[in-house]
Amino acid sequence: MSAKVSLGIDPEELASCVSCGLCLPHCPTFRVTGEEWASPRGRISAMREVQDHGAAVDAAFLSSMDTCVQCRGCEPACPSGVPFGSLMEATQASLARRRWGDWRRWGFRVLGHRWLLSLLSRTLAIVQRMRLVPSKRLGLPLIPLAQERLRASGDDVWLFTGCVMDAWQRSTHAAVKRVVEATGAGISLPGAGAGCCGALSLHAGLENHARALAIRTMGALEGSAPILVDSAGCGAALKEYGELVGTPEAAAFSRRVMDVHEWLAPRLEELPGVAVRSSDAVVAVHDPCHLRHVQRAHHPVAEVLARFATVVALDDEGLCCGAGGAYAAMQPELASSIRERKLEAIERTGAQIVASANPGCTIHLANAGVVVRHPLEIVDEAIDHDG
Amino acid sequence: MLPTDRIRSASLERSLLGRDASIFEGGRAGPVCFPVSTEEVQGCVDAARRHNRAVVPRGAGTGLAGGAVPLEEPLVVVTTKMNRLLSVDADRRMAWVQPGMINLDLSRATAPYGLHFAPDPSSQQVCSLGGNVGTNAGGPHCLAHGVTSAHVLAVEVVLTSGEAVVLGESDGWAPGLDLRGAYVGSEGMMGITTAIAVRLTPDPPAVQTLLLAFDSVDSAAQTVSAVIADGIVPAAIEMMDNNIIRAVEEFVGAGFPTDAAAVVIVEVDGLPGGVAAEADRVAELALGLGGSVRRAADDNERALLWKGRKSAFGAIARIKPNYYLHDTVVPRTRLAEVMKQVYEIVEEHELQVMNVFHAGDGNLHPMLLFDRREPGIMPRVHAAGAAIIEASLAVGGVLSGEHGIGMEKRDFMPLMFSEADLDAQARLRRAFDPEEMANPGKVLPTGASCADVNALDKVPEGVWG
Repeated sequence: MSAKVSLGIDPEELASCVSCGLCLPHCPTFRVTGEEWASPRGRISAMREVQDHGAAVDAAFLSSMDTCVQCRGCEPACPSGVPFGSLMEATQASLARRRWGDWRRWGFRVLGHRWLLSLLSRTLAIVQRMRLVPSKRLGLPLIPLAQERLRASGDDVWLFTGCVMDAWQRSTHAAVKRVVEATGAGISLPGAGAGCCGALSLHAGLENHARALAIRTMGALEGSAPILVDSAGCGAALKEYGELVGTPEAAAFSRRVMDVHEWLAPRLEELPGVAVRSSDAVVAVHDPCHLRHVQRAHHPVAEVLARFATVVALDDEGLCCGAGGAYAAMQPELASSIRERKLEAIERTGAQIVASANPGCTIHLANAGVVVRHPLEIVDEAIDHDG
Repeated sequence: MLPTDRIRSASLERSLLGRDASIFEGGRAGPVCFPVSTEEVQGCVDAARRHNRAVVPRGAGTGLAGGAVPLEEPLVVVTTKMNRLLSVDADRRMAWVQPGMINLDLSRATAPYGLHFAPDPSSQQVCSLGGNVGTNAGGPHCLAHGVTSAHVLAVEVVLTSGEAVVLGESDGWAPGLDLRGAYVGSEGMMGITTAIAVRLTPDPPAVQTLLLAFDSVDSAAQTVSAVIADGIVPAAIEMMDNNIIRAVEEFVGAGFPTDAAAVVIVEVDGLPGGVAAEADRVAELALGLGGSVRRAADDNERALLWKGRKSAFGAIARIKPNYYLHDTVVPRTRLAEVMKQVYEIVEEHELQVMNVFHAGDGNLHPMLLFDRREPGIMPRVHAAGAAIIEASLAVGGVLSGEHGIGMEKRDFMPLMFSEADLDAQARLRRAFDPEEMANPGKVLPTGASCADVNALDKVPEGVWG
């Protein structure tokens, strides 16, 4: 037994789990393994073993923690409201302090620098076309060689553009922008200072880096206009800046943040009519964990889409798809077992197209051969922009 | 035998499997095995025998009586990877399942046939069918349909000899002694369940769910008796007291009246005409006893009410971080009286209690709430628990309705059974497991003469926490 290691978890939060086990079926890693160490209850018990009873931070403990997707599907399932995300983030932060060699420590720094990310992405796009990287195995999408330029159109709302999504999937931002503009709203775009929201760093336990990115992001999206986000993971992070940064300004910033579908759902009347109802094709709505479990704002997606397409829900109670930000790259085997369940759920719906409001899920599912679109890409194609 | 990646020995995993959802801490697993087939379970039992270890089966680990807590580092056989639906025969309304299949997953899988598995413990979204067989589990809807034993046609069991046998008959009644009946509820002490032939129940054509609210526990309890006395057998009658109403409402937001002293959820099902008439009659009886009535308008509202009821025990940490959930059964006509005593006992020991239970069959679930970290609290918790059990037995009740005896009530068994009774049970168990190798230390008090009923200290040291 090693010296007692504090994981820096708030003792009251750690004591708040009664070990009833009702979270187990809502945990993707428990669902595919059936093993206690891979469940929220088991992970909390393991944290207690270390923090309260002096157990060693050994390979079994690290594996229990690092295999957590941090989807937070256990949180809405918990009758006692255990703040699992907060327990896991504190644990990851303590572990990160011991892991100097972790590639994520420097790797994620790139995300904060737009020019660097853009340069690396363009290089990667070229190398991909020379077939020099095993993209699928690395969980990468085909990165575009050139990106269209987005231009601001007013100051009614901000559109948060982020890092990887802006570098790899800017065409999604463009579609989202057209749809928002079609309601008559003008869009502001963040300047060069804004990049990554910090979510990936926070999940890897790099709290200080996440906080620095949060402060930069806040600085780039000033004023009082609503901040629309078309990536569920980023939206969840932005909405939690209040807790992460811990200032009244950050809390006020978080209150301005909305998933773009939340903003759009009450404004559907302002959209022009349907030009092409692409809807003979059935669309299955995949709820990204950070929209459903963290933001708890997944209903507007189906509400918006239903006007333009035939929408079906998946019957798996929002169980994670295994993408989890960098998770698919860090834990490829578990990520693909988890994805198998999602693919089965998609197949049961008979839908040909899946709508996902999170870029990570989109990439992960598309790598398994599923046709995945952002919900507003489907809307953008359906509405009559001239009408 | 098993491939090595399904055998575990890491210290962390052995301690994680040292407990279930009960009050007990401090159990510790020996080697942990995750078999996927009957043959692999046989391999596990053979290995345990060779190494002179006991075997303890474990499903999802949601037991509330410590039945799956491993004592003295036994080999633990976890059935969660044996989770397949083996076959469904919709015409004969039955299915073969593996023991690790989750209760609710079975009903979801058979929903396309219009069939479901009737026993629905509150933990049904996670508990395993093997565990349901082990504890002869109940659930809100067992009032009309009967508990697990009534829904198990046959079980395949690996005995501690290593032999696999089938008890019962999946396509009719088995000749001879009802060994299936003896096995269901044996809490892992007669062998390890490796497959189950379950009876499936047709989904009712119509369902109505009523939420009755009362300003006294007494009138709630009287309403329950009045409904049954009226000749109605609802699918479920569940009661929750004010403390639990407030805790679950914070979680589900189903519109439970947080100012009511007690609510009763009554569900009636069957043919539409009968359901409407019964629901009207239940409402009339409740109103007559001073209650108010709300009817669930649709499936969503119904689901939300049940979500509130079924998540009750997990909502405890909103008040205290630990619970001790009891499970005594009392005659329905004595409900109000025993509940009053429960409140008095809890007050006397300066604890908090929440009551949520299957009122229709008198199955009480007082939950004592406490914070284990508070010095000197555990003796008070145990003393209050013992007093609740004694009060229940004094009015002609029994120790357990559905959670099982496990370790929790083992030492209370002599309160209910004579030495001869206990000896008969021990001999029945030994007929299946002569060396007492399967889940030892559970259910039956150690030694033949267990006159000392207060001997909680007989439970191994450290386990009570």
